[in-house]
Amino acid sequence: MAETVEFEGKSFNVDEDGFILDFNEFCPEWIQLVKKEEGIEELNEEHTKVIDVLQDYYKKNGIAPMVRVLSKLTGFKLKHIYELFPSGPGKGACKMAGLPKPTGCV
Amino acid sequence: MSKKKMIKITDISKNTDKLASVANEDLMPLPADFEEKEWDKIPESTSEKYACILDDLNILQIPKPLTKEDEEDLVNKFIDGMRKLFSKEDNWTFLTILETTMEHCAKCNTCSESCHLFEASGENEMYRPNYRTEVFRRIYKKYIKEEPFAKWRSGDIDLNWRTVVRLGELAYRCNICRRCAQTCPIGADNALVAREIRKIFSQEMGISTPELHEKGSMYQLKIGSSTQMNQIVVKDNVEFIDEDFSDETGYQFETPWDVEGADILLIHNAGEIMAWPENIAAFSIIFQAAGISWTLSSDLAAYDSINYGVFYDDVQFARTAILQAQAAQKLGVKKIMLGECGHAHKALTVIADRVLPEPLKIPRESCFPLLRDIVMSGKIKFDPERNNFPVTLHDPCNITRLMGIIKPQREIVEKLCPQFREMHPHGPFNYCCGGGSGYAIMTRNNIPEWRFKIAGRKKLEQILNAFSDCRGPETKKYVCAPCSNCKGQMRDMFERYELLEKEQLTYSGLVELIVNAMVDVKPGFIKWEEDY
Repeated sequence: MAETVEFEGKSFNVDEDGFILDFNEFCPEWIQLVKKEEGIEELNEEHTKVIDVLQDYYKKNGIAPMVRVLSKLTGFKLKHIYELFPSGPGKGACKMAGLPKPTGCV
Repeated sequence: MSKKKMIKITDISKNTDKLASVANEDLMPLPADFEEKEWDKIPESTSEKYACILDDLNILQIPKPLTKEDEEDLVNKFIDGMRKLFSKEDNWTFLTILETTMEHCAKCNTCSESCHLFEASGENEMYRPNYRTEVFRRIYKKYIKEEPFAKWRSGDIDLNWRTVVRLGELAYRCNICRRCAQTCPIGADNALVAREIRKIFSQEMGISTPELHEKGSMYQLKIGSSTQMNQIVVKDNVEFIDEDFSDETGYQFETPWDVEGADILLIHNAGEIMAWPENIAAFSIIFQAAGISWTLSSDLAAYDSINYGVFYDDVQFARTAILQAQAAQKLGVKKIMLGECGHAHKALTVIADRVLPEPLKIPRESCFPLLRDIVMSGKIKFDPERNNFPVTLHDPCNITRLMGIIKPQREIVEKLCPQFREMHPHGPFNYCCGGGSGYAIMTRNNIPEWRFKIAGRKKLEQILNAFSDCRGPETKKYVCAPCSNCKGQMRDMFERYELLEKEQLTYSGLVELIVNAMVDVKPGFIKWEEDY
């Protein structure tokens, strides 16, 4: 069920695992919020590339890509995605990109 | 400090805070020195909104009653729903076995000894399989059947809102593995009672869990899959899998879609596509290599074999099963075949018999006998040396205990895995992975505490014992778990206890072991660490 999180003057409706509920609420402040949670000091071009790829895919397909697809589209191996986002592609990168939590038997 | 205490049946109605609690020292010991963290608390945001009065967990989101009317409403709706469970018109699917369970239990409590939740929790009274059933039975005798002298003959129960709330929550402290039903000398089915209570909450009261309902069966019926993959995305993803794994394995294959008149319509759990694509690739490689006439369907709900209704709701169940059977009818296939998913086996091959109308009763089968036939046929060349690492086999409850499919998997691993060893007990007497009945897809709040400390504990003990001759990080080990749900539970549990790092322990399905041994495929299909 929804909870509201306030950050830098913005408020976000999130689920129990802290994923944004509605992608339309995404804004740059959200990235800053998750960045703090993830313990990432400074975002670099590679972080931004992952986020852009995830968002483009989500806008087109209504779902996050398979991890292998993300790896292909960014050119980053899974191991490197973990270096960029310590919680991994789902709990780290997808969350920061403002995608809702995956559902079903995944 | 140990939190064990005596809990009486009538305590369920008491005006107290929670009734049960499990401390780390109460937990069944494991054959390993794993650090147990303290049990995470239920977050305030949850306990403010929902009635959390059973134990240290909240799975079913029952809104806290705020007024006297709310309280009465909970009781009245529950009783209305319960009455329907005992009418043939409303519950032709499960009435017979439910009545048997209500009328003939001898209270021998043999069921308790068989239950991994009872054992792993340090024999906490609350998690006895018969605790929940006994409360339910007393309500039935007193309020539904209105048996004369029920209070004296069967024991009294006070049906108030607390009883209802706790019983609802307690219905989600069962993996529905049916080990207790198997051991019962009379044939009482405590797991069914848990499931039928869930059904009252869903069908009568509109209360269920978001993972199974809003984001589960509803997505499947609206979008086509609980994963939210629509028909275009799923085909796109499988096409990607075909290309990616053709490259990786050096074996060119293509997954067929919507082939009219094919012999077999294979339905995967679509979660495999997103989370374990190697399973999808392995099926396609094996079927192509063996020259099987088969297809996937891109029809709504027919490319995802899941049917979460099996865990909580007959109506959602029937809606899904009908869509899947209609897709098969449209293609004119000879049969439907289920991939490596246990609850999908239960749903479509067993329970669907009770809801599908005659024209939709297309033959429905498990994939395991066919896989065995293929492996034994000599059509594909294998090198078992490629699987020369310790392998044990997990038996998904719905495939083994429920359906009795025991030998095909074993004939395959015995032929292809030189270091295969059984867990004990196994086959029909297996233990649940701990993810059964929906837990495997729940990560909400502190639900993982229950999954890892209690529900999955017995399986973890079994796995570690199966590898007692090769423990530690020096030897790579493999748990063959041919079920998406079981794999989800194992992935999360192995991560929690750092079993890849500490034990070089991985898990995957059965088809992966088959492809890993195929001579025509590049060595190394199974990986302990992903390198894509």
